[in-house]
Amino acid sequence: MPQSLIRLTAAVALIALAGRTFAADGRLYPSGPPNGVAYLRFVNLAPADVTIVSPAAKITIPADDAHRIGEFDPVTPGVALTGSAQLGEATKPINVTLQQNEFVTVAVTGSADALSVILLRETPSDFNALKSSLGLFNLDQSCANAQLQAGDQHLAVVADVAPGAVGRRMVNPVDVGLAVSCGDPSQTVPVKLGALVAGDRYSVFVVGSGSGRQVVAQRDEQAPFRP
Amino acid sequence: MRYLIELGETEARGDLSVMNGVLAGLAILVIGDSHMVTRDYLITTLHNDLAAQGATVNTYGMCGANAGDWVYPTTVSCGRAVRLDKGETNIDRRPSIPTWTIDALIAQNHPNLIVIEMGDTMAGYGQAAFPQGWIYQQVHALTGRIAAQNIPCVWVGPPWGSEGSTYHKTFARVKEMSDFLATAVAPCKFIDSTQFSKPGDWPTIDGQHLTSSGYRSWGQDITTQLDQLAPQLVHRP
Repeated sequence: MPQSLIRLTAAVALIALAGRTFAADGRLYPSGPPNGVAYLRFVNLAPADVTIVSPAAKITIPADDAHRIGEFDPVTPGVALTGSAQLGEATKPINVTLQQNEFVTVAVTGSADALSVILLRETPSDFNALKSSLGLFNLDQSCANAQLQAGDQHLAVVADVAPGAVGRRMVNPVDVGLAVSCGDPSQTVPVKLGALVAGDRYSVFVVGSGSGRQVVAQRDEQAPFRP
Repeated sequence: MRYLIELGETEARGDLSVMNGVLAGLAILVIGDSHMVTRDYLITTLHNDLAAQGATVNTYGMCGANAGDWVYPTTVSCGRAVRLDKGETNIDRRPSIPTWTIDALIAQNHPNLIVIEMGDTMAGYGQAAFPQGWIYQQVHALTGRIAAQNIPCVWVGPPWGSEGSTYHKTFARVKEMSDFLATAVAPCKFIDSTQFSKPGDWPTIDGQHLTSSGYRSWGQDITTQLDQLAPQLVHRP
């Protein structure tokens, strides 16, 4: 993912604050991010490239499945981040302030005629190197109760996720077929993730479109935070 | 899931006379934070104890380093130290020193066991919120590099330290950090240093760094635990 000046600005602010804090304390070094950290990513679920513009920079997120989902970039919690999402001539504002340890996904859906920006917020506590974590992000307004199912028995892994919400659960790292349903078990959309790896985290997005229900899934990537 | 092996009373106190001898002949790479960057700290006590068991030990310490600093090249600002096998400890206190990377150290040392001592630099002492997402990313980055080379590893968590210092270390946060590391460091095994003493038993000089006797105890206790864990980790030809 291209370097975002949102990230750069946050890092510079953190460095400045860190210097003041530790000079006053006489400590040799910090323990963890000096002012906490939160993570922000952008996901393009629209049918064409989307441009994200911040006050300092802009990035373009392609519309192909391999590049739709950006990595979680560290940002400073408590700082109001502003920007916009652009698709063709359509523009939607982005205004978000993250809390410490929060992971926020900014999902862009729709088309140039009906562009939409949806914030999906998580404060996860399920970090475990022996398990895998599966997140289901429901961006399909016609899917009242999204469900992530596993195997031929349609075992519910994550259930009852309303439109605009996210559900997440830790599972054993196994090679099992996954699918998304919206109530009718016979109407599922397969999830292409492959074998789950211990310690990894994954996101599954379900989105409605004119051509039907679509599912995009990927392993979560998290950029390193450098104080 | 905890990997800490419950030990008998004698062994829990780090009695090196009852060791199994399984560390002999191993090439052990030890890396850690400021607990390794001063003479008489672990770069002396743990290094000596492992060497006394017949292991070839190379120890590297970087003051203030997070797990990610051993993966992504950067600098450290309060010193680094190295001690190779039976050599002297060399400490560099320049204010800005390039970091060692785990990939380079593995290529250089060819270890068949890696011991990581780290926790105090990442626990977020003084912060209201425990930064677990950030810690996990740091830990996962380092253990992932080691796992990619199929080298067994053991992660040593922080000791209790003392409360009320400028480091803002608290017993509650040390416990939280230790419990978190126990689930986060796989495929490395975890040694929970809080099991070696009761809170406040090991005095510190500044809230975080132990006295000489504390580092002697800590080094012995780690060595005893490694002796117990090594047969599960290292498969000899």
